[in-house]
Amino acid sequence: MTSPRTVSRLARILALIPYVLSKEGVEVREILDRFGYDEAQLTRDLNTVFVCGLPGYGPGDLMEAYIDGDEVVIDAADYFARAPKLTSTEALSLLAAGMAIVGSGQASPELESAVNKLAKVVMPDAGSAISVDVSGEPETLGMLKGAAADRRVVRITYRSLSRETETIRDIEPWAVFTTLGNWYVQGKCRLVDAERVFRVDRMRHLKVLDEGFERPSGIPEPGVSYSPSDDDVVARIVLHPQAAWVLDYYPVEVVKEGKRGTEILFYSPDAEIPARLLLRLGAGAKLLDGDEVRARVAAMGGALRDRYR
Amino acid sequence: MQNVVERVLNLLIYLLESPVPVTAEDIRRTVLGYGEQSDDAFHRMFERDKDLLRSLGVPLERQALDIWEVDFGYVVDPEKYAIPDPRLTEEERVALSVAARMVRLGGSNAGLEGLLKLGGAERGVGIEPLGADLGAETAVLGDLFLAITERRELRFTYHGGERKLKPYGMGHRRGHWYVVGDGPEGERLYRVDRMSAVEVGEKRDAFKRPRKFDVKTAMSNHPWEAGTDERVTATVRFDPEVSWWAGRTLGVEAPDGAALECELPVANRDAFIGWVLSFGESAEVLGPEDLRHEIRARVDAALESSG
Repeated sequence: MTSPRTVSRLARILALIPYVLSKEGVEVREILDRFGYDEAQLTRDLNTVFVCGLPGYGPGDLMEAYIDGDEVVIDAADYFARAPKLTSTEALSLLAAGMAIVGSGQASPELESAVNKLAKVVMPDAGSAISVDVSGEPETLGMLKGAAADRRVVRITYRSLSRETETIRDIEPWAVFTTLGNWYVQGKCRLVDAERVFRVDRMRHLKVLDEGFERPSGIPEPGVSYSPSDDDVVARIVLHPQAAWVLDYYPVEVVKEGKRGTEILFYSPDAEIPARLLLRLGAGAKLLDGDEVRARVAAMGGALRDRYR
Repeated sequence: MQNVVERVLNLLIYLLESPVPVTAEDIRRTVLGYGEQSDDAFHRMFERDKDLLRSLGVPLERQALDIWEVDFGYVVDPEKYAIPDPRLTEEERVALSVAARMVRLGGSNAGLEGLLKLGGAERGVGIEPLGADLGAETAVLGDLFLAITERRELRFTYHGGERKLKPYGMGHRRGHWYVVGDGPEGERLYRVDRMSAVEVGEKRDAFKRPRKFDVKTAMSNHPWEAGTDERVTATVRFDPEVSWWAGRTLGVEAPDGAALECELPVANRDAFIGWVLSFGESAEVLGPEDLRHEIRARVDAALESSG
């Protein structure tokens, strides 16, 4: 195996040469910025280019590459006049990134035209073969993104994931992001004076206030994670094979895998979430332990029975 | 590493400049960096370098040198090597690099690496407080993309069974990637993270994509609309406290503080029942009657095993 560092070094060199060749003269600073180099790395790569070329490898066969004052110069490298074509992973990653932002309704016209131009080139006859749907309401996402950018407090009416209740909260939005098919806002909740992640589709009303806030430095990467706490309700559940999808959707702890299914521990702030899940799974799951959850299943199941009598 | 970079650059230059395919022996004699190696060491080195070039996007091909296919040579067609120019303006390229920094796909930087080939990806321009995580492994997605754009057949394992597919398209929706294509069971949708042992066929243009194919139509809107159950129209009532939320999921205007009643097409009963029950006691399917029976049975089963 060739080391990943060698691979990315070569990739960068093969992209750098055509760019410099296409310009009359390029400032060192511009190259550092565009290609993510520091000066030592750039010098090293130019020195490498300088000793490569056509067989014979005499002075007239090698490429020219050096820094002249504050300019980068490359010459005698016509065979590298164009960069190599995108790999399928690069092409898909770029397209998907562009399409995701376009799909969120937050794209500039430049991004939209860039995605169209790129698609024409990397999949000339497969125009409708790729789609990235990140759903979300563009207007709501736009307001939240704007508030995060301007550091303005947002007042939301929020329906909690685990309870049927609604609360009105003032939040300081740090970032808006989507993962696993839902949009979230990461930020500080003034109601509980702590960092929280809110699901955007559960915000019933929202209003950007005039009030500003200080964004703390060193905010962790946004993400949805759930770390169990002592106050949690714990349910021990067996998932039969038809309910195995639960493992992909909820942060559960697998206790053991057996012939009849997978035994898991399901942690949540209250009994509502596991109870609803058990109801929808029907015979696909069995609750082994968890009195509170069992009581909630019984109560909700009883009420549903009455409705469907 | 210094030597590897130099040797591979020299190899690529030699291949790009050769008007005819060259043999491994030609390369060994001609290209700087191979000459001093033993037979074994040379072959190992050459194999690695070929893989490296291909991983960079270089179309390195092996061709027979005679009609008896006894000797083989290597060639890089400069036309196929060069990136087709999408003619992005500077503003478009910058917009794309901002997007590539905002969207995560399998923890790789493939998008940004691709942008270098299009003229670079500036650091720290227009970072916005918006992000998307499109999950999944990029290597498999790249293979699927290749199969779709070059119309190559796919073979893979799904739910323990071997599948063959003519992939027409792929898409991301509700947190997952899907591939849509035609196979022995007709047009079907597969979730990418459930596919394993994915193999892309050798043959290019192995099938034709139907001209009217649109992946968005193929991956229909709601999970309960995509299925093989007999299509029925279900009537559902959502209580006032959840009507706004249901309305939002369904993309319909819900009256504030009042119940919402709507008719929905159902082709996947299981997915539909699961969704309705996720509202707990706050939603009720009013009809058809057999769907109500099924929900009742589901609730009874849950009460039996967990109540």
